[in-house]
Amino acid sequence: MSEKASQQPVGQSKKRQANTWLRVVQEQVEAESFGSVEITVHDSKVIQVQRTEKLRLDRARQLFPPSGLPAAFIPKLPRRPSGPPQFLDPKKRPLMKNRSKSIRATLAAAGLLVLGSTASFAAEESVAELRALIQQLDQKIKVLERKEELDKESSAEKAKTTAVVTAGASGFQMRSADTNFVLKIRGYVQADARFYPADNSSGTKNDTFLLRRVRPIFEGTLYDKYDFRVMLDFPSGNMVTANNNSFVQDAYLNARFFPEFQVQIGKFKEPVGLERLQSGANLLFIERSYPSQLLPNRDVGIQIQGDLFNYTLNYQIGAFNGVPDGGSGDTDATNFDDEKDIAARLFAIPFRNSDNDALRGLGFGVSATIGDHEGAPRGYSSAGQQSFFAYTGTVVADGQHWRVSPQAYYYWGPFGLVAEYAVSSLNLRNTANGRQQELTHTGWQVAASWFLTGEENSFKAVQPLKPFTVGGDGWGAWEVAARVSQLDIDDDAFTGAGPFANSATAASAATSCGLGVNWHLNRNVKFSLNYELTNFDGGTSPLLENGEQALFARAQVAF
Amino acid sequence: MKLSRVVLALALSLASSAWAKDIKLLNVSYDPTRELYTEFNAAFSKHWKAKTGDNVTVEQSHGGSGKQARSVIDGLPADVVTLALAYDIDAIADKSRRLPADWQKRLPNNSAPYTSMINFLVRKGNPKGIKDWNDLVKPNLSVITPNPKTSGGARWNYLAAWGYALEKSGNDEAKAKEFVGKLFKNVPVLDSGARGSTTTFVQRGIGDVLLAWENEAFLAIKEFGADKFEIVTPSLSILAEPTVAIVDKIVAKKGTEAVAKAYLEYLYSDEGQDIAGKHFYRPRSEKAVAKYAAQFPKLKLITIDSSFGGWRAAQKKHFDDGGIFDDIYKP
Repeated sequence: MSEKASQQPVGQSKKRQANTWLRVVQEQVEAESFGSVEITVHDSKVIQVQRTEKLRLDRARQLFPPSGLPAAFIPKLPRRPSGPPQFLDPKKRPLMKNRSKSIRATLAAAGLLVLGSTASFAAEESVAELRALIQQLDQKIKVLERKEELDKESSAEKAKTTAVVTAGASGFQMRSADTNFVLKIRGYVQADARFYPADNSSGTKNDTFLLRRVRPIFEGTLYDKYDFRVMLDFPSGNMVTANNNSFVQDAYLNARFFPEFQVQIGKFKEPVGLERLQSGANLLFIERSYPSQLLPNRDVGIQIQGDLFNYTLNYQIGAFNGVPDGGSGDTDATNFDDEKDIAARLFAIPFRNSDNDALRGLGFGVSATIGDHEGAPRGYSSAGQQSFFAYTGTVVADGQHWRVSPQAYYYWGPFGLVAEYAVSSLNLRNTANGRQQELTHTGWQVAASWFLTGEENSFKAVQPLKPFTVGGDGWGAWEVAARVSQLDIDDDAFTGAGPFANSATAASAATSCGLGVNWHLNRNVKFSLNYELTNFDGGTSPLLENGEQALFARAQVAF
Repeated sequence: MKLSRVVLALALSLASSAWAKDIKLLNVSYDPTRELYTEFNAAFSKHWKAKTGDNVTVEQSHGGSGKQARSVIDGLPADVVTLALAYDIDAIADKSRRLPADWQKRLPNNSAPYTSMINFLVRKGNPKGIKDWNDLVKPNLSVITPNPKTSGGARWNYLAAWGYALEKSGNDEAKAKEFVGKLFKNVPVLDSGARGSTTTFVQRGIGDVLLAWENEAFLAIKEFGADKFEIVTPSLSILAEPTVAIVDKIVAKKGTEAVAKAYLEYLYSDEGQDIAGKHFYRPRSEKAVAKYAAQFPKLKLITIDSSFGGWRAAQKKHFDDGGIFDDIYKP
């Protein structure tokens, strides 16, 4: 029953004529409610206008009673006419297909409503228009869907090659899509304050603020097995010296061929002191204790290392240039001889994989170095970082130098204990009188700590249970610590003809007791406060006679 | 095990591998050649096995031609590239130096073993009455073509339209630009390759007309039925010459030079040409041309060299960043 009311107006170009017949047609159209107006054309002219009035049962109203739409009508709704065939691969995009269905259903419903409200007149014409409209909308939806599909495809493809960048508490990381290239940017800064409450008239250092460590770290992994690490340092008063370029702290490659067999080459910490091997950012006290002064710091060399028996036994053995006690070095060019130091360490964490909480955190081991040394030996400093023992200027190392250090830690819940002993035996020569002597110094420390806030104590960084938030209920992690540490100088340094040290300005022993509190606001920010009392044996200088009080504070940010 | 036995075992395994080598080739191709190369690879493997006794497996990679070239430049180890147009191989030669700049002279017919052209695929009954290029710029018409930035077919589409507009306007470039601009205004979605556009048009039911490789249009009809689509051949189109080349540095490294060369040469053989014709690529050899003459309509075909001064010039002027396409197509 579809009768198009107007065909393409004939004689479009002949406007004058059109105006006349158009007016007639318009009058006729306006005169009727339902029906058709027919025009007859002869020789490009409208010669007749015929109106047909339609009187019919109102089918549309029957089909669309105002109360609702008969479900039976729905299948007859306008469908996409020349229906582009659907060859959707259901495996490829089921989700989209479903969505598309629901969108189409919504559209159909909208169409029905429109249809319902206009059904009382011109139902057939509206259906044709709606059909066209729905077809247009259908195309638009399909285009949107396809665009989304293509976006997904291209982002999936991009993901295959795009590097992943992450940022978090453990630093900033870039990783290639195939994980063959990983770069982590980390670092830490320690800003310290050092106060000496009982100033001595002479010999005591000034109270000072200083930058203790300013260390950017670049580390990463290449091809899954080759780790590298470069750690620089720009602390207060850093200077370049020939044998100790402290700007470059770490620079090494570690080839992890197997967990049990790894080769590390470059500059890094010699595998000796327990406290020395703990990261400067995770120290319990602001400054390390005496054993670390007897043992080597960083050196250049090659080391074989690995974890055995499911990570319960860790070994390292390496060849290094050799450094004096507590020292670091980059080269053997000016100091020390051709001989290299051998350093080795064995450390067991036997219950590492056990369920027994009381034993899991127990680790113990022993380390040693041996080698021939020449050149100037280093003196030793107090807990407050003031020199209390120095060799006289004419003393040089000349001969074998060996060290042994038994060491252990124990962590159980919030409790932590670290104990370390060190012996350093070195051959020295006084160039002033030719005296040669082997001196053996010893040092030890015992340090205990407790997390008041209940955190799991650890040799590594501690994660506060409730990080500190301003105005929140998190107070971070609070840790209290106590430490006793001693360094005993071989008495032979002071005795006999041509002694190696001046007994007035150098002490033969230093004993330090320290208390500390650490506030870990979160994993990255820590404030520390230490008080250390040091007594010295021997010596007549005001510092050595009166002892030392040192109050150190530190603000640290590490990531 | 005694040493002599070890030596014997080694010698035997060496000898047996000398008898039948397992060779792998990677053919990096453009989007619509999947079916062509599936059949051709099987034929070549058989041929090579018969000739040398070696087993050749040819792996295929498909995508928009420009995109594929980029992948090879970025390190995809293709033994051979069979791309939609010479420029994409030029780009590999220029940017990666993995093959010489005169690669196109190494095989007959400028290294294009088969040709094609661009035509229109419309829905059955051609409801929008599309007959020629000028129908594509009408309002309310939806044209499907891939992106000339990534697809070789799309660049042929674009240049064919450009060529048509030039001819109709008496070589007025401004008019041609306006014409092609209008055409791309009718493009609702740009796929990255020709096969993607076929999916858009055929499977997703989008658009009134697909600008398609001739072989792709035939394939769509073959796969999805002549009752759903029909082909419209415009008054003018462009001779599309997909080209092939071995990637010298890769085959030298992998030791596959001889077999890769033979692989491409086999495209020119009777069997290769016949397979091309069978998959609706216009073959070169007289024998195959004669055999498939009936399936390819004859029409005026402009060429890239005569109408656009070669691919390098066309690429620079139209498709490189800042070229005319960037000017006329703003998504």
